[in-house]
Amino acid sequence: MSTPGEPGAPGEPGEPGEPGEPSGGSRHRFGHVELPAPQARALRRAKRLEVVTIAYMLTCVAVVFATAGSSQAMKTAWVEDSLALVPPIAFLVAVRAGRRRPTADHPYGFHRSTGIGHLTAAVALLAVGLLLIEDSATSLLRAEHPPIGTVHLLGHTFWAGWLMVAAMVYTGIGPIVLGRMKLPLAEELHDKVLFADADMQKADWMTAAGTIAGVVGIGIGWWWADSGAALLISLSIVRDGWRNLHYASTALMDQRARTYDDEHPHPLTREVDVALGRLPWVRDSRSRVRDQGHVFHVEAFVRSATGRPPSLEQLEEAVDVLRGLDWKVHDVVVMPVRDLPDTIPDPQPASDRRSG
Amino acid sequence: MHAVRQVSIVLAALLLGGCGLSIPTDPDGTLDHVRTEGVLRAGASPRAGWVDLDGGDPGGREPELVTRFADDLGAEVEWTVAGEEELVRMLDEGEIDVAVGGFTEDNAWVDEVGLTRAYTSTHVMMVPMGENALQSELERWLDAHGGGA
Repeated sequence: MSTPGEPGAPGEPGEPGEPGEPSGGSRHRFGHVELPAPQARALRRAKRLEVVTIAYMLTCVAVVFATAGSSQAMKTAWVEDSLALVPPIAFLVAVRAGRRRPTADHPYGFHRSTGIGHLTAAVALLAVGLLLIEDSATSLLRAEHPPIGTVHLLGHTFWAGWLMVAAMVYTGIGPIVLGRMKLPLAEELHDKVLFADADMQKADWMTAAGTIAGVVGIGIGWWWADSGAALLISLSIVRDGWRNLHYASTALMDQRARTYDDEHPHPLTREVDVALGRLPWVRDSRSRVRDQGHVFHVEAFVRSATGRPPSLEQLEEAVDVLRGLDWKVHDVVVMPVRDLPDTIPDPQPASDRRSG
Repeated sequence: MHAVRQVSIVLAALLLGGCGLSIPTDPDGTLDHVRTEGVLRAGASPRAGWVDLDGGDPGGREPELVTRFADDLGAEVEWTVAGEEELVRMLDEGEIDVAVGGFTEDNAWVDEVGLTRAYTSTHVMMVPMGENALQSELERWLDAHGGGA
């Protein structure tokens, strides 16, 4: 018994959005999941913020490139700023692709595009981070003294390092603000690319501060400060890349759904069985919940209390209950079984499983 | 925000502590040595119109600039005449402080030595890599005295 929730089915129980919202032509959906109002708002806002991010980061890339001179830390910061363009682009592309409805060739829809975007961003981060580590470690070992002379600008001549510091202050401020604005949207939309982006940006001020320290270090004659700072920045890029690679690939391997920040198993993975257990005809159930990107795919195996097969109405009710749990619970299969499948491990070791 | 405060404290300490020293400073103290010892060790490689070697010390446009720069630092010039590659090696090993030879900003040694900002439309002088106080001092001086194209 399965319904990949069709659009326009009015009055979904517990849906936070307006049930009467027209389904045709709305741009705010993932596949055939019509987004409830708060999520639709969050998606609009997130798309706007990502466009702002791209525009802003392009100016940063230009400014840092123009002032980088021969500072290794500046060069590294420049690469990191360029890389910061990848997640917003991945997000916009993924949201666009994920909007498409399922087709005969793609019966599950295109939700996985988010996962691919996430993986792409992670691999880019990791690869570039490793290159930069090699680069900055080499200049540190070879004891390269970065030359920074003066610059002539608007009729004044001053040490070019100050210009670099100003550039890094500019590139450091935006990401903190943008990252903080995007974090709650990532949670609302359950979007891991957006989360990875926001999380990286939130930490971006450290890159700026590190680069400033490196440049000021050159200024006071500590030649090693520059490549030292560059090394630390590249380590942080590698760390970001590794973490995201881990999360993106486990999600693509159908790990059980986790929260938007990958910190915990998603509560819905348990609530599904709890909700089914509250139905009078259900004895117990065992479910698989995987994250397709934004929306979840639920397969629930249910044992009836009487040992007799449930009616179609009862099964439909079970599907409705699950889909009423959250807008993310979208593609639901409820399967009556004689015995719970032992191929699916118990998600919860004993105790609070049967709370209903 | 805790970390932000720490970084600001470190930066403030660097800047306040830096009042005693000037930014930029040479890692190897080249500019200070020139001033305290009164000697600017300069290298020259011949280039028609820029560096002439008609007996004695190098002459021509660039050696004259170097001599006047040294004067303003209160130093005498100690000349070494050698080929371009040799001058680069000497700069790298700290045996000379500045090198001239009609070099332009497109020259191939950009990864080995520090180049001043072009003081004509294209011409530069070489200084040891990363001796930023010397480089900045020389650039400012050339701005004022280097003359146009």
